[in-house]
This record gives sequence, structure tokens and C-alpha cells, in this order.
Amino acid sequence: MSRKNERLVNLTIALLATKRYLTKNEIFRNIEGYEGSTEAKERMFERDKDDLRKLGIQIEVGGLDPLFDDEAGYRIRPESYALSLRDLTPTQVTLLSLAAQAWQDAAFTDLSQQALRKLTSIGLDTDSSQLPVMAPKLVGADENLRCALDALTSLTTIEFDYLNIQGVTQRRQLQVYGVQARQSHWYLIGLDTEKNAIRNFRVDRIQGDVSTSGKAQSYVIPPSFEILELEPAIETPIAVLQVRPGAGYQLRRMATTVETADDWDLLEVPVFDLDFITSLILWHGEDVIVSSPPQLRNAVMIALEKLVNIHG
Amino acid sequence: MAKKDAGLARTARLLDLVPYLTTHQGIAISELAKTFNTTVKEITDDLNTLWMCGLPGYTPLELIDLEFESGFVSIRNAETLSAPRALDRAEALSIYMGLDLLSAELSDSSQSLAVEISNLQDQLRTQLISAPQVQIEASFKSEFRALILRAIRRRGWLEITYHSAANDQVAKRNVAPYELSQSGSHEYLQGYCDSAKSIRNFRADRIVEVIEIDDQVWPSNQVSGNDEAIKYEIKVHASSRQVLEVLPQVTAGSATATIEGFSAHWISRAILSLAGQVEATEPKEIRAAVHARAKAALQNYH
Repeated sequence: MSRKNERLVNLTIALLATKRYLTKNEIFRNIEGYEGSTEAKERMFERDKDDLRKLGIQIEVGGLDPLFDDEAGYRIRPESYALSLRDLTPTQVTLLSLAAQAWQDAAFTDLSQQALRKLTSIGLDTDSSQLPVMAPKLVGADENLRCALDALTSLTTIEFDYLNIQGVTQRRQLQVYGVQARQSHWYLIGLDTEKNAIRNFRVDRIQGDVSTSGKAQSYVIPPSFEILELEPAIETPIAVLQVRPGAGYQLRRMATTVETADDWDLLEVPVFDLDFITSLILWHGEDVIVSSPPQLRNAVMIALEKLVNIHG
Repeated sequence: MAKKDAGLARTARLLDLVPYLTTHQGIAISELAKTFNTTVKEITDDLNTLWMCGLPGYTPLELIDLEFESGFVSIRNAETLSAPRALDRAEALSIYMGLDLLSAELSDSSQSLAVEISNLQDQLRTQLISAPQVQIEASFKSEFRALILRAIRRRGWLEITYHSAANDQVAKRNVAPYELSQSGSHEYLQGYCDSAKSIRNFRADRIVEVIEIDDQVWPSNQVSGNDEAIKYEIKVHASSRQVLEVLPQVTAGSATATIEGFSAHWISRAILSLAGQVEATEPKEIRAAVHARAKAALQNYH
């Protein structure tokens, strides 16, 4: 194993140092570690190239010079090998390190540490004087999220079992276009290949493991694709709620306007998800009355009647 | 990138050691092992391997020159490998997302930092084959997390403003923090609560404010929670995803469930929020409380 590692390092050095393409023969002749028959060396070299590519090192093939029997040559461009983030300020190095540290947890530890070592290797000082004291952390980043992000970087379709709204598990196939962390949950957004439509999936609703299906680079993210912002827009329906003074903390946080009065305060709350807001209103029992829209008012009244009936 | 095999991980480490050593001349072997998350023996093996590497020719002129007999490492003649390797795509994406998290928190306070972050994101974007859409929102202010972690280390008290969903109240309490931990999608602060005189768990995303306070004696005998668990029974009319998520003790498809809760308020509110998908059967007090609240709420409409 150590001989092989040595050969891979020597190969990387030689291909990085060369100003022109090196032919296979030059490589076999000059780089230590290529031994045995020509066939054996060829096999060794093919595997070595694969290994370096797996490490993200780009080997360029070229230099087809007719004067040299059309033999392909190889090199690694220093500009593609090396970290391309240039001329960083100490503040920027700090920001990048904090961004990597946010992942230092469970399924992402190795990734985060490797990135941090590369950043530290730049040899620049950090400077956190312009930043507030902070300990950023991405909570709930598990193996399934890792697998989905790997699929997103390589454009590989994924598959998983998903708990649907009825509480039934279904197999889903997804081409991931984007990822979102919102209200303590991770969401994958992309093309549900069976429904042929854009869908969101909450990562903690995935049952079991995410697996890949098919090859890398098997789709493209449409340039027009955008994650919708959860900002109230003109067309977002508004619920008008009467809320007892002092009650309904969560609803007040979501409200766009609050008008205080003696018996009931008047709140306007944007409705992004009717089911969610219905549950939240029910959670607050007799402290909240829905004035409008009628759809929400009815949903809440029907639920309350049902609750009274079954508990009567 | 998928998990790399051990051999390749070693090659990556050998390549990454060179730039790291170049900017950290004279580092102790033990510290180097710690940085690379491995043992002193492994790192020494790595150094012995690197020492045999270099440019073709492999005479002392071409080989990497390493000195580490003293226990401290210095490197020379390694210019070809001395630049840190490019971030791979998974690293680039994760840092890109981490920056998004920082940006959400910092952009309000500092315009110039927001600009720096977006410049860095533009640079990282070029390393990703296609531009994925990313939107990261913090569940909990990282400034609060930093204050809590510092208080845990220093054994210092905090005044925490906390929103209790069960009581629909926001209140201040003095807490001696013990631990910040994760369970599922949420982060929890565990500590001794001076108002409750016992150990409490606080969901981090419901913490509204954190202030460091002085001059309070660290609790000597750590009293464990003296709250009796409340056992209650429900009938499940529909085991929807919402029911399974609000009451994780319910198994899909079962008609009844016996559940333990800690707050009567929480239990009756949770059952109200499930809109009749579950029915409280035992104890009678909880059943009556749900009935009374639903009836009172309904009367508001008449």
C-alpha cells in the first residue's frame, strides 16, 4: 500500500511539474514505481489515473503530436490542482473557516475537517475582529443529507422511501436541484421523476437510507429553477385573527400587523400552508378566533365540532 | 464525493501534508497527528513515505527534504506540491452552504461582511458543475450558541428568555447550562433552572434571548427533574404523518396508544391541534380538558 501511495504522489509531482505533456513511455521510464511487463505497467497507470481523478485531481490528456507517433501525453495543470480562492483577506479566511466549522458534526465531520486543513494550509492569519461572537452550526445534517448533497454535486438521481401526508411510506425518485434549511428542518427540492413535477421533501421524513440510482451527470438543473422565497407576496392569502391579549406568541411572531385592543387583539397572518396554520390556531384553543378567510374559519370550526363530539 | 477507501484517503493525506507543513514549519509530530485526525505512528509513516517522493531522478536534489527526528517537522524542496489542493465539489458546496448560513445572520448587522460573503460564494460557485439553489436559515442564533457554550465551559449562569409552547408564554429564567445536544432535527439546552428548581430541557429554537449573568452560585447538588410523567391513552382515528410527528410514540396503523407526557397543557393542546385525528380517552381529566377547551373555542363563534 505504501509503495502505491508513494507512486501516486510521485506521479502527481511529475505531472504537476512538467511544462509539456508527458507520454506514457516517459512516465514509465522516469517515475519510480512502474515495474513489470508493459501490460502490467499500463494496468497500473490506468488505475493510478482513476485514483487521482477520484481525489478530484484533473489529469489533462493532450499533446497529440504527429511527430511522436500520435502518442497521448498527460499533465496536471497547477491552476486546476491548487485551491483557487486567491488573495483572501484574514476576515475572509475566518468566514470560510466558520462556514466549514458549521458542518463539524456527525455525518460531515471528515468533510469539514479536510476543508479546514486546506484553508489553514494557505498560511494566512485569521481575523475575527469584524465579526460578532458566533458558533454557527447546521443542526440535523445526517447521512441522508450527505448522500443527497453528493448526488447534487455529481448530478446523480437518488431514491428513497418517504412518509407521505397520509402516513404511508412511498418509494420516490428525485433529481435534486437545490437544498433548503428552514424552521429547523432540511428540505430537498427537485424533480420527482415519476410525477414529473418539482417537489419538496423534508429530509427527516425519509425512512431508511437514501441511495443513488443510475449514473452521475444524468441530468441538468434548469437555469430557470429557483427556490421560492417564503416572503409574503401580494398573492399570499392573509388570515385575520382575533387573539386574546398576552396569548398566541407564535402567531404574533408570524403576523405582519398587530392591532391591540382590550378584549381581542387583531392580527394579520400570511397563510403559506393552510393545514399548518389550522393546527396552530387549534393549539391555542379558545384564545384565537378566525375572522377570515371563510375557508380557514370553516376548517377550524369543523375541527372544533369534531373535537367536542368525540370527547363529549 | 462518496466515501473514499482507506488507501486513497492516505494518498490525499500525503498530498495535503506538504502544503500544511510548508506553512507550519517546526510543528510537533503529535500536533500534526491531531490536526490530521490520526495517530503519531501513522503520521510518522506518512513522513517516511513523503521523504521518498520527489521529482523524477529521485536524487537528494529532487527528493522532498523532511526533517522530523527531533519530533518537530520541517520541510524543504517541495515547491511542486506546496499549494493547498483545490476544494472538491462536496467541500465547495458545503462551504457555500455554510456561508449562506452566516450571511443570513450577518447581513443585518454588517453590509460589508455581506458583500465579502457573496464574493466568496461567487468564487465557490465556479467550482461546482452546475449552480444548485441553496437557501439556509439558522434555527437558532449562533451568537446565542456561542454564549451558551462559553457559559458551559466557565460554569456561568445565563438568563434565558424562553417561549414555552405548552403554556403559550414567554418568560425569563436563570439557568445553569450543562449541555447543548442534538436530538433529531432539534438542538436542546439542558440545565438547572432556578425558577423550576430542577433540571430542564429547553428547545434551542424557542430561546428568544440569552444574557450572561454573574454572581450566582453554581448549583451544588444537581436535582434531577421531579416532575411526574403523565401517562395518557388515546384512540387513533387517523394515523396521518402529522399524528406520527406530533406524537412519535404512536405506531402507524395502530388504533390506540399509551403515551407519556410531562405537561397536561402540552398534551391537551397537542390533541386539539390534531383536529380530531386522535381522541384522548384516559385519564378523564385530560379528556375533559380537551372537551372544555374545544367547546369554549367553538362558543367564540356563536
